[in-house]
Amino acid sequence: MSDVYVVGIGMTKFGKHPDRTVVDLGSEAVREAIRDAEVDPRRIEAAYCGHVFQGMVAGQRVLAQTGLAGIPLTNVEDACSSGAVAIREAALAIRAGEHDVVLAFGMEHLTGRFRGALTPAEDDLEAAVGLTMPAIYAMRARRHMEEFGTTRRQLALVSVKNKRNASLNPLSQFQTPVSVEEVLASRPIAEPLCLYDCSPVSDGAAAVVLCSARWLRQLTRSQRPIRLAAAALRSGEVESGLPSMAFEPLTRRTAEAAYEQAGLGPEEIDLAEVHDCFSIAEVLRVEGLGLFPVGEYPDRLERGEADIGGRLPINPSGGLLGKGHPLGATGVAQVVEVVRQLRGQAGPRQVAGARVGLAHCRGGKAAGVEGAACTVNILAA
Amino acid sequence: MVEVTETGRSGVVPVHPDVFAGELEGEPQLVGSRCRQCGARFFPRRGVCARCLSAEVEVVPLGRVGTLHTYTVVYQSTPEFPTPYILAYVDLPEGVRLLAPLAGVPVDQVRIGMPLRLQVEPLRTDAAGRTVLGYRLYAHGGGA
Ligand SMILES: [Zn+2]
Repeated sequence: MSDVYVVGIGMTKFGKHPDRTVVDLGSEAVREAIRDAEVDPRRIEAAYCGHVFQGMVAGQRVLAQTGLAGIPLTNVEDACSSGAVAIREAALAIRAGEHDVVLAFGMEHLTGRFRGALTPAEDDLEAAVGLTMPAIYAMRARRHMEEFGTTRRQLALVSVKNKRNASLNPLSQFQTPVSVEEVLASRPIAEPLCLYDCSPVSDGAAAVVLCSARWLRQLTRSQRPIRLAAAALRSGEVESGLPSMAFEPLTRRTAEAAYEQAGLGPEEIDLAEVHDCFSIAEVLRVEGLGLFPVGEYPDRLERGEADIGGRLPINPSGGLLGKGHPLGATGVAQVVEVVRQLRGQAGPRQVAGARVGLAHCRGGKAAGVEGAACTVNILAA
Repeated sequence: MVEVTETGRSGVVPVHPDVFAGELEGEPQLVGSRCRQCGARFFPRRGVCARCLSAEVEVVPLGRVGTLHTYTVVYQSTPEFPTPYILAYVDLPEGVRLLAPLAGVPVDQVRIGMPLRLQVEPLRTDAAGRTVLGYRLYAHGGGA
Protein backbone atom coordinates (compact mmCIF):
# COMPACT_ATOMS: atom_id res chain seq x y z
CA MET A 1 0.00 0.00 0.00
CA SER A 2 1.41 3.34 -1.06
CA ASP A 3 1.21 6.44 1.07
CA VAL A 4 -0.91 9.16 -0.53
CA TYR A 5 0.07 12.83 -0.66
CA VAL A 6 -1.79 16.03 -1.46
CA VAL A 7 0.44 18.04 -3.79
CA GLY A 8 -1.97 20.58 -5.27
CA ILE A 9 -4.97 22.57 -4.00
CA GLY A 10 -7.42 24.94 -5.66
CA MET A 11 -10.66 26.61 -4.68
CA THR A 12 -13.02 29.26 -6.03
CA LYS A 13 -14.52 31.94 -3.85
CA PHE A 14 -17.64 30.51 -2.25
CA GLY A 15 -20.82 32.56 -2.47
CA LYS A 16 -23.55 33.56 -4.91
CA HIS A 17 -22.36 33.24 -8.48
CA PRO A 18 -25.59 33.67 -10.46
CA ASP A 19 -23.74 34.51 -13.67
CA ARG A 20 -21.39 31.53 -13.61
CA THR A 21 -22.00 27.85 -14.41
CA VAL A 22 -20.97 24.91 -12.31
CA VAL A 23 -18.57 23.85 -15.07
CA ASP A 24 -16.97 27.28 -14.99
CA LEU A 25 -16.49 27.08 -11.21
CA GLY A 26 -15.26 23.49 -11.30
CA SER A 27 -12.77 24.29 -14.06
CA GLU A 28 -11.33 27.23 -12.13
CA ALA A 29 -10.68 25.09 -9.06
CA VAL A 30 -9.21 22.23 -11.11
CA ARG A 31 -6.89 24.50 -13.08
CA GLU A 32 -5.65 26.11 -9.87
CA ALA A 33 -4.97 22.74 -8.21
CA ILE A 34 -3.01 21.53 -11.24
CA ARG A 35 -0.99 24.77 -11.31
CA ASP A 36 -0.34 24.51 -7.56
CA ALA A 37 0.84 20.91 -7.99
CA GLU A 38 3.23 22.01 -10.75
CA VAL A 39 2.12 19.02 -12.77
CA ASP A 40 1.57 18.68 -16.52
CA PRO A 41 -2.20 18.00 -16.91
CA ARG A 42 -1.29 15.08 -19.18
CA ARG A 43 0.27 13.33 -16.17
CA ILE A 44 -3.09 13.15 -14.34
CA GLU A 45 -4.36 9.61 -14.78
CA ALA A 46 -7.86 9.65 -13.30
CA ALA A 47 -10.40 11.95 -11.70
CA TYR A 48 -13.24 11.78 -9.18
CA CYS A 49 -15.91 14.48 -8.99
CA GLY A 50 -18.30 15.00 -6.06
CA HIS A 51 -21.59 16.83 -6.66
CA VAL A 52 -25.21 16.42 -5.61
CA PHE A 53 -27.61 18.36 -7.84
CA GLN A 54 -25.57 19.10 -10.99
CA GLY A 55 -27.05 16.44 -13.26
CA MET A 56 -25.56 13.61 -15.24
CA VAL A 57 -21.81 13.49 -16.01
CA ALA A 58 -21.12 16.93 -14.59
CA GLY A 59 -17.52 15.92 -13.89
CA GLN A 60 -16.80 15.05 -17.51
CA ARG A 61 -17.98 18.49 -18.56
CA VAL A 62 -15.16 19.96 -16.44
CA LEU A 63 -12.53 17.64 -17.92
CA ALA A 64 -13.26 19.04 -21.35
CA GLN A 65 -12.47 22.56 -20.09
CA THR A 66 -9.22 21.71 -18.32
CA GLY A 67 -7.16 19.67 -20.79
CA LEU A 68 -8.06 16.42 -19.08
CA ALA A 69 -10.62 14.92 -21.48
CA GLY A 70 -10.18 11.21 -22.00
CA ILE A 71 -9.07 10.03 -18.57
CA PRO A 72 -11.34 7.85 -16.41
CA LEU A 73 -13.71 9.99 -14.34
CA THR A 74 -16.17 8.83 -11.68
CA ASN A 75 -19.00 11.09 -10.53
CA VAL A 76 -19.64 10.62 -6.80
CA GLU A 77 -22.84 11.41 -4.90
CA ASP A 78 -23.07 11.03 -1.10
CA ALA A 79 -25.01 14.20 -0.25
CA CYS A 80 -22.87 16.69 1.71
CA SER A 81 -20.04 14.12 1.93
CA SER A 82 -19.72 13.83 -1.87
CA GLY A 83 -16.47 15.77 -2.20
CA ALA A 84 -14.82 14.00 0.72
CA VAL A 85 -15.84 10.65 -0.75
CA ALA A 86 -14.29 11.69 -4.10
CA ILE A 87 -11.00 12.25 -2.25
CA ARG A 88 -11.26 8.85 -0.59
CA GLU A 89 -11.92 7.14 -3.93
CA ALA A 90 -8.88 8.86 -5.43
CA ALA A 91 -6.74 7.76 -2.47
CA LEU A 92 -7.97 4.17 -2.80
CA ALA A 93 -7.01 4.12 -6.49
CA ILE A 94 -3.49 5.25 -5.57
CA ARG A 95 -3.19 2.83 -2.65
CA ALA A 96 -4.32 -0.01 -4.89
CA GLY A 97 -1.46 0.79 -7.27
CA GLU A 98 -3.81 1.52 -10.14
CA HIS A 99 -2.82 5.19 -10.51
CA ASP A 100 -0.02 7.51 -9.38
CA VAL A 101 -1.51 10.96 -9.95
CA VAL A 102 -5.24 11.52 -9.40
CA LEU A 103 -7.47 14.57 -9.31
CA ALA A 104 -10.36 14.86 -6.84
CA PHE A 105 -12.75 17.77 -7.02
CA GLY A 106 -16.16 18.84 -5.82
CA MET A 107 -18.56 21.49 -7.07
CA GLU A 108 -22.09 22.77 -6.72
CA HIS A 109 -24.20 25.57 -8.11
CA LEU A 110 -27.25 26.09 -5.90
CA THR A 111 -28.22 29.73 -6.59
CA GLY A 112 -31.59 29.69 -8.31
CA ARG A 113 -32.04 26.01 -7.55
CA PHE A 114 -32.96 26.30 -3.85
CA ARG A 115 -34.36 29.24 -1.99
CA GLY A 116 -35.21 27.82 1.39
CA ALA A 117 -34.52 24.79 3.51
CA LEU A 118 -33.25 21.60 1.95
CA THR A 119 -35.44 18.57 2.64
CA PRO A 120 -34.73 14.83 2.62
CA ALA A 121 -35.67 12.85 -0.53
CA GLU A 122 -39.38 13.38 -1.21
CA ASP A 123 -40.39 9.71 -0.78
CA ASP A 124 -38.92 9.75 2.74
CA LEU A 125 -41.50 9.16 5.49
CA GLU A 126 -40.26 11.99 7.69
CA ALA A 127 -40.16 14.42 4.76
CA ALA A 128 -43.77 13.44 4.06
CA VAL A 129 -44.83 14.76 7.48
CA GLY A 130 -42.96 18.05 7.01
CA LEU A 131 -39.38 17.42 8.16
CA THR A 132 -36.72 19.80 6.85
CA MET A 133 -32.97 19.62 7.43
CA PRO A 134 -32.99 22.63 9.82
CA ALA A 135 -35.86 20.98 11.75
CA ILE A 136 -33.82 17.83 12.38
CA TYR A 137 -30.96 19.87 13.79
CA ALA A 138 -33.31 22.10 15.77
CA MET A 139 -34.74 19.04 17.50
CA ARG A 140 -31.26 17.70 18.20
CA ALA A 141 -30.26 21.12 19.57
CA ARG A 142 -33.18 21.00 21.97
CA ARG A 143 -32.04 17.56 23.21
CA HIS A 144 -28.48 18.82 23.73
CA MET A 145 -29.87 21.73 25.73
CA GLU A 146 -32.07 19.36 27.76
CA GLU A 147 -29.36 16.76 28.49
CA PHE A 148 -26.27 18.95 28.97
CA GLY A 149 -27.60 22.39 29.90
CA THR A 150 -26.36 23.92 26.65
CA THR A 151 -27.72 27.45 26.24
CA ARG A 152 -29.13 29.23 23.21
CA ARG A 153 -26.38 31.82 23.58
CA GLN A 154 -23.68 29.12 23.48
CA LEU A 155 -25.08 27.80 20.20
CA ALA A 156 -24.93 31.33 18.79
CA LEU A 157 -21.24 31.47 19.74
CA VAL A 158 -20.53 28.76 17.15
CA SER A 159 -21.80 31.06 14.40
CA VAL A 160 -20.01 34.05 15.90
CA LYS A 161 -16.66 32.19 15.93
CA ASN A 162 -17.05 30.76 12.43
CA LYS A 163 -18.15 34.02 10.83
CA ARG A 164 -15.24 35.76 12.55
CA ASN A 165 -12.85 33.15 11.08
CA ALA A 166 -14.55 33.54 7.70
CA SER A 167 -13.82 37.27 7.76
CA LEU A 168 -10.10 36.30 7.72
CA ASN A 169 -10.60 34.10 4.63
CA PRO A 170 -10.86 35.95 1.30
CA LEU A 171 -12.62 32.94 -0.31
CA SER A 172 -15.47 32.91 2.24
CA GLN A 173 -19.06 33.77 1.42
CA PHE A 174 -19.37 35.90 4.58
CA GLN A 175 -16.73 38.57 5.09
CA THR A 176 -18.24 40.34 8.09
CA PRO A 177 -18.24 39.12 11.72
CA VAL A 178 -21.57 38.98 13.58
CA SER A 179 -22.40 39.41 17.26
CA VAL A 180 -24.32 37.01 19.50
CA GLU A 181 -27.15 39.54 19.55
CA GLU A 182 -27.30 39.58 15.74
CA VAL A 183 -27.47 35.77 15.61
CA LEU A 184 -30.29 35.70 18.18
CA ALA A 185 -32.17 38.49 16.38
CA SER A 186 -31.98 36.85 12.95
CA ARG A 187 -35.20 35.39 11.58
CA PRO A 188 -36.37 32.06 13.07
CA ILE A 189 -35.94 29.05 10.73
CA ALA A 190 -36.73 26.09 13.00
CA GLU A 191 -36.89 26.95 16.67
CA PRO A 192 -34.44 27.26 18.43
CA LEU A 193 -32.34 27.81 15.28
CA CYS A 194 -32.32 31.18 13.51
CA LEU A 195 -31.05 32.17 10.08
CA TYR A 196 -27.47 32.78 11.30
CA ASP A 197 -27.39 29.30 12.85
CA CYS A 198 -27.78 27.83 9.34
CA SER A 199 -25.23 27.46 6.57
CA PRO A 200 -26.18 29.48 3.47
CA VAL A 201 -27.10 28.51 -0.07
CA SER A 202 -23.75 28.65 -1.90
CA ASP A 203 -22.01 28.11 -5.22
CA GLY A 204 -18.40 27.07 -5.49
CA ALA A 205 -15.81 24.42 -6.26
CA ALA A 206 -12.61 23.00 -4.81
CA ALA A 207 -9.99 20.57 -6.09
CA VAL A 208 -6.94 18.62 -4.94
CA VAL A 209 -4.22 16.69 -6.78
CA LEU A 210 -3.17 13.50 -5.01
CA CYS A 211 -0.16 11.33 -5.79
CA SER A 212 1.69 8.22 -4.69
CA ALA A 213 4.96 8.19 -2.71
CA ARG A 214 6.71 6.69 -5.74
CA TRP A 215 5.65 9.58 -7.97
CA LEU A 216 6.44 12.16 -5.31
CA ARG A 217 10.09 11.03 -5.23
CA GLN A 218 10.44 11.77 -8.94
CA LEU A 219 9.63 15.43 -8.44
CA THR A 220 11.31 18.54 -7.27
CA ARG A 221 8.52 20.70 -5.98
CA SER A 222 8.31 24.03 -4.24
CA GLN A 223 5.33 23.15 -2.01
CA ARG A 224 5.64 20.88 1.00
CA PRO A 225 3.69 17.67 0.29
CA ILE A 226 1.02 16.84 2.88
CA ARG A 227 0.31 13.18 3.61
CA LEU A 228 -3.28 11.93 3.59
CA ALA A 229 -2.92 9.76 6.69
CA ALA A 230 -6.51 8.49 6.75
CA ALA A 231 -9.61 8.55 4.57
CA ALA A 232 -12.49 6.85 6.37
CA LEU A 233 -16.10 6.48 5.19
CA ARG A 234 -19.07 4.94 6.98
CA SER A 235 -22.81 4.80 6.32
CA GLY A 236 -25.49 5.24 8.95
CA GLU A 237 -26.88 2.15 10.63
CA VAL A 238 -30.57 1.42 10.95
CA GLU A 239 -31.81 2.78 14.23
CA SER A 240 -33.97 0.72 16.50
CA GLY A 241 -35.41 1.63 19.85
CA LEU A 242 -34.88 5.07 21.32
CA PRO A 243 -31.34 6.27 20.51
CA SER A 244 -29.82 9.49 21.83
CA MET A 245 -30.35 12.49 19.56
CA ALA A 246 -27.60 14.49 21.32
CA PHE A 247 -24.70 12.25 20.29
CA GLU A 248 -23.55 10.88 16.90
CA PRO A 249 -22.50 7.22 16.90
CA LEU A 250 -21.95 7.47 13.12
CA THR A 251 -19.38 10.25 13.54
CA ARG A 252 -17.75 8.32 16.40
CA ARG A 253 -17.44 5.09 14.37
CA THR A 254 -16.02 6.93 11.34
CA ALA A 255 -13.53 8.80 13.52
CA GLU A 256 -12.37 5.58 15.21
CA ALA A 257 -11.71 4.05 11.78
CA ALA A 258 -9.75 7.15 10.72
CA TYR A 259 -7.66 7.33 13.92
CA GLU A 260 -6.79 3.65 13.49
CA GLN A 261 -5.75 4.17 9.85
CA ALA A 262 -3.62 7.16 10.78
CA GLY A 263 -2.15 5.51 13.85
CA LEU A 264 -2.95 8.44 16.09
CA GLY A 265 -5.65 9.66 18.44
CA PRO A 266 -7.84 12.74 18.82
CA GLU A 267 -5.34 14.28 21.27
CA GLU A 268 -2.83 14.63 18.42
CA ILE A 269 -5.12 16.72 16.19
CA ASP A 270 -3.97 20.37 15.95
CA LEU A 271 -7.00 21.73 14.07
CA ALA A 272 -10.24 20.41 12.61
CA GLU A 273 -12.64 21.40 9.88
CA VAL A 274 -15.99 19.84 10.84
CA HIS A 275 -19.38 19.76 9.17
CA ASP A 276 -21.09 22.75 10.82
CA CYS A 277 -24.12 22.86 8.52
CA PHE A 278 -25.90 24.30 11.60
CA SER A 279 -24.48 25.76 14.83
CA ILE A 280 -25.58 22.70 16.84
CA ALA A 281 -23.96 20.46 14.21
CA GLU A 282 -20.46 21.66 15.17
CA VAL A 283 -21.21 20.69 18.78
CA LEU A 284 -22.39 17.19 17.81
CA ARG A 285 -19.42 16.71 15.46
CA VAL A 286 -16.53 17.67 17.75
CA GLU A 287 -18.05 15.61 20.58
CA GLY A 288 -18.64 12.67 18.23
CA LEU A 289 -15.06 12.93 16.94
CA GLY A 290 -13.73 12.73 20.51
CA LEU A 291 -12.05 16.12 20.14
CA PHE A 292 -13.98 17.44 23.16
CA PRO A 293 -15.73 15.44 25.93
CA VAL A 294 -19.41 14.70 25.26
CA GLY A 295 -21.60 17.49 26.57
CA GLU A 296 -18.71 19.87 27.31
CA TYR A 297 -18.05 21.60 23.99
CA PRO A 298 -20.42 24.55 24.53
CA ASP A 299 -18.67 25.53 27.78
CA ARG A 300 -15.22 25.08 26.28
CA LEU A 301 -16.18 27.03 23.18
CA GLU A 302 -17.32 29.84 25.45
CA ARG A 303 -13.87 29.78 27.12
CA GLY A 304 -12.17 30.21 23.73
CA GLU A 305 -10.69 26.71 23.41
CA ALA A 306 -11.95 26.34 19.81
CA ASP A 307 -10.74 29.76 18.62
CA ILE A 308 -7.74 30.23 16.36
CA GLY A 309 -5.07 30.47 19.07
CA GLY A 310 -7.10 28.28 21.44
CA ARG A 311 -6.35 24.71 22.55
CA LEU A 312 -7.93 23.12 19.44
CA PRO A 313 -9.11 25.50 16.70
CA ILE A 314 -12.33 24.30 15.06
CA ASN A 315 -13.23 25.49 11.56
CA PRO A 316 -10.48 28.10 11.16
CA SER A 317 -11.57 28.50 7.49
CA GLY A 318 -14.96 29.82 8.64
CA GLY A 319 -16.65 26.45 8.30
CA LEU A 320 -19.87 25.90 6.42
CA LEU A 321 -21.52 28.67 8.47
CA GLY A 322 -19.00 31.28 7.39
CA LYS A 323 -17.21 30.05 4.31
CA GLY A 324 -20.39 28.70 2.70
CA HIS A 325 -21.72 25.25 1.83
CA PRO A 326 -21.78 24.36 -1.88
CA LEU A 327 -22.62 20.73 -1.08
CA GLY A 328 -20.35 18.75 -3.39
CA ALA A 329 -17.45 21.19 -2.93
CA THR A 330 -17.55 21.24 0.87
CA GLY A 331 -15.53 18.11 1.68
CA VAL A 332 -12.81 19.06 -0.78
CA ALA A 333 -12.67 22.66 0.48
CA GLN A 334 -12.17 21.37 4.04
CA VAL A 335 -9.10 19.41 2.87
CA VAL A 336 -7.87 22.46 0.94
CA GLU A 337 -7.99 24.45 4.20
CA VAL A 338 -6.24 21.75 6.24
CA VAL A 339 -3.47 21.55 3.62
CA ARG A 340 -3.08 25.34 3.63
CA GLN A 341 -2.81 25.29 7.43
CA LEU A 342 -0.26 22.45 7.44
CA ARG A 343 1.79 24.24 4.78
CA GLY A 344 1.73 27.37 6.95
CA GLN A 345 -0.02 29.38 4.23
CA ALA A 346 -3.25 30.36 6.00
CA GLY A 347 -2.29 33.99 6.55
CA PRO A 348 -4.17 35.81 9.33
CA ARG A 349 -6.08 32.64 10.31
CA GLN A 350 -2.94 30.46 10.54
CA VAL A 351 -2.97 27.95 13.40
CA ALA A 352 0.57 28.22 14.80
CA GLY A 353 2.64 25.06 14.54
CA ALA A 354 -0.12 22.90 13.02
CA ARG A 355 1.20 19.42 12.11
CA VAL A 356 -1.94 17.24 11.99
CA GLY A 357 -5.40 18.29 10.79
CA LEU A 358 -8.76 16.57 10.48
CA ALA A 359 -11.67 17.12 8.08
CA HIS A 360 -15.14 15.72 8.86
CA CYS A 361 -18.23 15.63 6.64
CA ARG A 362 -21.61 14.17 7.22
CA GLY A 363 -24.32 14.05 4.61
CA GLY A 364 -27.88 12.99 4.02
CA LYS A 365 -30.85 11.83 6.05
CA ALA A 366 -33.31 9.00 5.70
CA ALA A 367 -36.08 7.97 8.08
CA GLY A 368 -34.98 5.13 10.34
CA VAL A 369 -31.22 5.50 9.86
CA GLU A 370 -28.92 7.64 11.96
CA GLY A 371 -27.56 9.54 8.94
CA ALA A 372 -26.51 8.61 5.42
CA ALA A 373 -22.77 9.11 4.84
CA CYS A 374 -19.92 10.23 7.09
CA THR A 375 -16.26 10.84 6.23
CA VAL A 376 -13.14 11.66 8.24
CA ASN A 377 -9.94 12.59 6.40
CA ILE A 378 -6.76 13.12 8.43
CA LEU A 379 -3.76 14.97 7.00
CA ALA A 380 -0.23 15.22 8.37
CA ALA A 381 2.64 17.56 7.51
CA MET B 1 -54.32 -8.04 7.13
CA VAL B 2 -54.32 -5.94 4.00
CA GLU B 3 -51.21 -4.06 3.01
CA VAL B 4 -52.15 -0.63 1.81
CA THR B 5 -49.65 0.52 -0.77
CA GLU B 6 -51.83 2.08 -3.42
CA THR B 7 -54.73 4.42 -3.72
CA GLY B 8 -57.68 3.36 -1.63
CA ARG B 9 -61.09 3.08 -3.26
CA SER B 10 -62.16 6.40 -1.83
CA GLY B 11 -59.18 8.36 -3.15
CA VAL B 12 -57.25 8.10 0.09
CA VAL B 13 -53.50 7.48 0.08
CA PRO B 14 -51.30 6.75 3.09
CA VAL B 15 -48.57 9.26 3.90
CA HIS B 16 -46.13 6.36 3.44
CA PRO B 17 -46.79 2.75 2.29
CA ASP B 18 -45.27 1.14 5.41
CA VAL B 19 -47.04 2.83 8.30
CA PHE B 20 -50.61 1.47 8.35
CA ALA B 21 -52.19 -1.96 8.44
CA GLY B 22 -55.83 -2.48 7.53
CA GLU B 23 -58.32 -0.79 5.25
CA LEU B 24 -57.95 2.95 4.99
CA GLU B 25 -61.74 3.31 4.92
CA GLY B 26 -62.05 1.48 8.20
CA GLU B 27 -59.93 2.15 11.26
CA PRO B 28 -56.32 2.18 10.04
CA GLN B 29 -53.85 0.92 12.60
CA LEU B 30 -50.35 2.41 12.90
CA VAL B 31 -47.83 -0.40 12.92
CA GLY B 32 -44.14 -1.01 13.48
CA SER B 33 -42.21 -4.24 13.53
CA ARG B 34 -40.50 -6.44 16.11
CA CYS B 35 -37.81 -9.06 15.47
CA ARG B 36 -38.77 -12.45 16.91
CA GLN B 37 -35.09 -13.43 17.16
CA CYS B 38 -33.50 -10.46 18.92
CA GLY B 39 -36.43 -8.30 19.95
CA ALA B 40 -35.33 -5.18 18.03
CA ARG B 41 -38.16 -2.82 17.17
CA PHE B 42 -38.49 -0.62 14.10
CA PHE B 43 -40.65 2.12 12.68
CA PRO B 44 -41.48 2.21 9.86
CA ARG B 45 -41.81 -1.56 9.65
CA ARG B 46 -39.14 -3.69 7.99
CA GLY B 47 -39.14 -7.11 6.35
CA VAL B 48 -35.73 -8.11 7.71
CA CYS B 49 -34.21 -7.23 11.09
CA ALA B 50 -31.46 -4.64 10.64
CA ARG B 51 -29.74 -5.77 13.83
CA CYS B 52 -29.54 -9.59 13.44
CA LEU B 53 -30.69 -10.01 9.79
CA SER B 54 -33.46 -12.43 10.81
CA ALA B 55 -36.45 -12.51 8.47
CA GLU B 56 -38.68 -13.50 11.38
CA VAL B 57 -40.02 -10.04 11.86
CA GLU B 58 -43.61 -9.53 12.98
CA VAL B 59 -45.83 -6.54 12.40
CA VAL B 60 -46.94 -5.08 15.72
CA PRO B 61 -49.64 -2.47 16.32
CA LEU B 62 -48.45 0.73 17.95
CA GLY B 63 -50.18 2.29 20.92
CA ARG B 64 -51.62 5.77 20.75
CA VAL B 65 -50.05 7.36 23.81
CA GLY B 66 -46.40 8.31 24.37
CA THR B 67 -44.11 11.07 25.61
CA LEU B 68 -42.58 14.01 23.79
CA HIS B 69 -38.84 13.47 23.18
CA THR B 70 -38.04 16.70 21.35
CA TYR B 71 -39.75 19.27 19.11
CA THR B 72 -39.29 22.31 16.91
CA VAL B 73 -41.40 25.05 15.41
CA VAL B 74 -40.76 25.11 11.66
CA TYR B 75 -40.82 28.59 10.12
CA GLN B 76 -39.38 27.76 6.71
CA SER B 77 -40.53 24.77 4.67
CA THR B 78 -41.73 23.63 1.27
CA PRO B 79 -44.98 25.00 -0.23
CA GLU B 80 -47.19 22.01 0.74
CA PHE B 81 -46.49 22.68 4.43
CA PRO B 82 -47.85 26.12 5.47
CA THR B 83 -45.72 27.61 8.27
CA PRO B 84 -45.38 27.88 11.17
CA TYR B 85 -46.03 24.34 12.39
CA ILE B 86 -44.79 22.22 15.27
CA LEU B 87 -43.03 18.89 14.68
CA ALA B 88 -42.33 16.48 17.52
CA TYR B 89 -40.74 13.11 18.09
CA VAL B 90 -42.87 10.96 20.37
CA ASP B 91 -41.52 7.91 22.22
CA LEU B 92 -44.11 5.13 22.29
CA PRO B 93 -44.20 2.41 24.97
CA GLU B 94 -43.51 -0.19 22.25
CA GLY B 95 -39.97 1.23 22.14
CA VAL B 96 -40.26 3.17 18.88
CA ARG B 97 -39.88 6.87 18.22
CA LEU B 98 -41.83 8.57 15.47
CA LEU B 99 -42.10 12.04 14.02
CA ALA B 100 -45.44 13.78 13.58
CA PRO B 101 -47.01 17.23 13.49
CA LEU B 102 -48.16 18.42 16.92
CA ALA B 103 -51.52 20.18 16.96
CA GLY B 104 -53.75 21.94 19.46
CA VAL B 105 -51.01 22.89 21.94
CA PRO B 106 -49.81 26.51 22.20
CA VAL B 107 -46.06 26.67 21.52
CA ASP B 108 -45.26 28.06 24.96
CA GLN B 109 -46.94 25.04 26.58
CA VAL B 110 -44.96 22.38 24.67
CA ARG B 111 -42.57 20.54 27.03
CA ILE B 112 -40.13 17.64 26.67
CA GLY B 113 -41.65 14.68 28.50
CA MET B 114 -45.28 15.77 28.17
CA PRO B 115 -47.79 12.98 27.40
CA LEU B 116 -49.04 12.96 23.81
CA ARG B 117 -51.74 11.08 21.94
CA LEU B 118 -51.43 9.98 18.31
CA GLN B 119 -54.48 10.41 16.12
CA VAL B 120 -54.82 8.98 12.61
CA GLU B 121 -56.31 11.66 10.37
CA PRO B 122 -56.04 13.33 6.94
CA LEU B 123 -53.00 15.59 6.64
CA ARG B 124 -53.59 17.32 3.31
CA THR B 125 -54.73 16.86 -0.29
CA ASP B 126 -52.10 15.80 -2.80
CA ALA B 127 -51.56 17.15 -6.33
CA ALA B 128 -53.96 14.51 -7.73
CA GLY B 129 -56.71 15.63 -5.35
CA ARG B 130 -56.42 12.58 -3.11
CA THR B 131 -56.58 12.73 0.67
CA VAL B 132 -53.22 11.99 2.28
CA LEU B 133 -53.89 9.98 5.44
CA GLY B 134 -51.32 10.36 8.21
CA TYR B 135 -51.29 11.11 11.91
CA ARG B 136 -50.97 14.04 14.27
CA LEU B 137 -50.04 14.40 17.91
CA TYR B 138 -52.25 16.05 20.54
CA ALA B 139 -51.79 16.70 24.24
CA HIS B 140 -52.98 13.73 26.28
CA GLY B 141 -54.60 13.61 29.68
CA GLY B 142 -54.81 16.56 32.04
CA GLY B 143 -54.00 19.17 29.42
CA ALA B 144 -50.84 20.60 27.96
ZN1 LIG C 1 -33.21 -9.17 15.06
